[in-house]
Amino acid sequence: MSVYIDKAAQISIQQPLSNEWFSNPLLPTGRLCKFVRPDFKQYLSPAVSRRMGTALKCTLSSAFACVPEEKRSQLDGILTGTGLGSIENTENFLLAMLQGEDGLSPSNFMQSTHNTLGSQVAIIFNCHGYNITYAHRGTSFDSALMNAVVKFRLNEFKSALVNGVDEMTEKYFQLFDQIGYWKDRDVTIEDVRKATSPGTFAGENSVSLFLTDQPSDQSLCELCDTQLLYRPSDQRLKACVEKICLEHNVSRIDAVVIGNNGDNINDEEYRRLVQLLAPDATQIIYKHLFGESFTMSGIGVYVGATCLKEKSIPSHITIDNKALENPQTILVLNHFKQLDYSITLLKSC
Amino acid sequence: MTEKIVVTGYGIISSIGAGVEKTREALLKEEKSIGRVAHLNTSHTDIPCGEVKESDEELKKALGIASEQTITRTPLLALMALKEAISTSRLTDQTSTAFINGTTVGGMEKSEKYYFDFFEGKHTEYISANDCGAGTELVSHLFGHFDLMTTISTACSSAANSVILGADLIKTGRVDAAIVGGTESLSKFHLNGFNSLMILEHQPCRPFEKSNQGLNLGEGAGYIVIERESVAKARGANIICELSGYANTCDAFHQTATSETSEGAYRAMTNALLNAHLETSEIDYINAHGTGTADNDLHESIALKRVFGEKVPPFSSTKAFTGHTTSAAGAVESVISILALQYGFIPVNLGFSEPIEATGLIPVQKTLHRTLNHVMTNSFGFGGNDSSCIFSKYQPS
Repeated sequence: MSVYIDKAAQISIQQPLSNEWFSNPLLPTGRLCKFVRPDFKQYLSPAVSRRMGTALKCTLSSAFACVPEEKRSQLDGILTGTGLGSIENTENFLLAMLQGEDGLSPSNFMQSTHNTLGSQVAIIFNCHGYNITYAHRGTSFDSALMNAVVKFRLNEFKSALVNGVDEMTEKYFQLFDQIGYWKDRDVTIEDVRKATSPGTFAGENSVSLFLTDQPSDQSLCELCDTQLLYRPSDQRLKACVEKICLEHNVSRIDAVVIGNNGDNINDEEYRRLVQLLAPDATQIIYKHLFGESFTMSGIGVYVGATCLKEKSIPSHITIDNKALENPQTILVLNHFKQLDYSITLLKSC
Repeated sequence: MTEKIVVTGYGIISSIGAGVEKTREALLKEEKSIGRVAHLNTSHTDIPCGEVKESDEELKKALGIASEQTITRTPLLALMALKEAISTSRLTDQTSTAFINGTTVGGMEKSEKYYFDFFEGKHTEYISANDCGAGTELVSHLFGHFDLMTTISTACSSAANSVILGADLIKTGRVDAAIVGGTESLSKFHLNGFNSLMILEHQPCRPFEKSNQGLNLGEGAGYIVIERESVAKARGANIICELSGYANTCDAFHQTATSETSEGAYRAMTNALLNAHLETSEIDYINAHGTGTADNDLHESIALKRVFGEKVPPFSSTKAFTGHTTSAAGAVESVISILALQYGFIPVNLGFSEPIEATGLIPVQKTLHRTLNHVMTNSFGFGGNDSSCIFSKYQPS
């Protein structure tokens, strides 16, 4: 069975719930960039959202923006990837507990479990379908997307919502700073085009994709497949791409979305992957606009899908600053520390 | 018709012991293990738990891991169970295998200990060990090669959902085998979290008992090896049983409470039966989620009656043995269900004397010995993430 990305919505460090970044992006400044918040009242009454953490409010808002009202309770699955879950709530509970183990309020604990995000969407959508949350570092979102494809293939899904959500707090940012995650200065597009030093910068994201088994007028593209590979050999990577292309009648990959983030070791691996898998393809970069998080690869898929929908890849998101018109096929590549890899093939529809 | 998925290996560790043999023995001898914690550093010393007897150092020694290795307790428990699962299945690198791990608390038991030190540049090696995926990654580094790996975090149904994903990956031909399950260590964070919800029992828990007050937290890990029947046969594996059906649903009602009609639990059990092509009358035993909280036990009972009518099969919760091992529970209890099926017994529901008034359901009050053909196990999590799995005696195709 075929799978289509019928609609996508994002809240990130770019303009929320819009594709404005495509033609008129915000240029992030600072080492930790926080969500540009939408007007939450659009979807959530203040009474409902008052006790909710930021990650949860963003998840619900992008989910609402993505799935048409009449389809919400009918979703066959809600699948969420989040590397860290609602860490704001986790930290609040942890800090209170470290002050003393008595008289703790449960509300932060209740929101601290990773599956709160996806199950709250189900509660608000009144959706009893398949519900799952992945928390596997840099391939958390990719795991959710792969699981959705698997369920479509098994004919168990006709529609599904896939989310990729991560927030970054000041404190967690400092912890990651201790172990060299971030650059000691702002990251520029030049760093992402050609990295010469370690470290990246932090972003936040809630990206939602509404998947269907039939294309519609508004569909962004076909989602051919998502494959996860753990510490693959070059041979396995190549064989995987060839197999997906063959199964979906794709003879040429027009563009690859790569996860360059300005960290020289991370980016070198993408250079190697492109050489290996699609040396002639236009290379799309996006993390200079969105920053890095455990689920930023979800934005990567969204960026690729948006380019197919718009039938254009603007120069400000290509590695060589050259635009490409009318792309038909886009491969989205992701790796986390050269351990976990994912490959997603998108095709125009 | 899709090919059968068979179970060819299993491994377990919990407060009742390490290994399937010790677990079976403890269940049959009705050994109790819930008590005061020895390793967890908490001021709530009056709250009993199901703590694994071995300290981190003892676990490292048992696993042949250097004592200076950076590793948190959750992956240590995982390695104990994983090692047994792989050795019983005799699975090798020749089979394309996924490793699907369920966990929620991740490396929190070290983060809560070193949190303020982290900011001063001390123990920073544990910063990147904090997230859920870190433990899965580390287990794999220390253990072996997997073709595909991921981590599921749906609270108390994490391990059950790992079983489900593993089976779906095999069905769609992405891998031939999967090692599926979950792991969770006790942490102050978890203990205080459950305590803040006021659902912890101050004596050994009494699932399905009228006067139940709450649950005992436990810790442990469990993994099962599942594979395509033809692959298992071709490599001459010992087939223990079949994974005949499963379902994952959402109650979609409340983060920590259950809907009046137990919609999620009802759908999980009903859909698992449909998936297994089984009638309700064919289930010989249900290993219930049965946490010991009033909310779970009442609503699970309501769901059992909705699904099975007046003929609810013999059921018990084994959480009075192991405590609630949260993210590992689905796997710990899958292993227990498989043992029941394999050796023909139904473990007792410890601590029961009077049924919950509204439903009147009576769990198994003494260990029963009988042939079982189909066993269902329930795992329900926060957020209404409800899943059921069914294991059946192996019938060669």
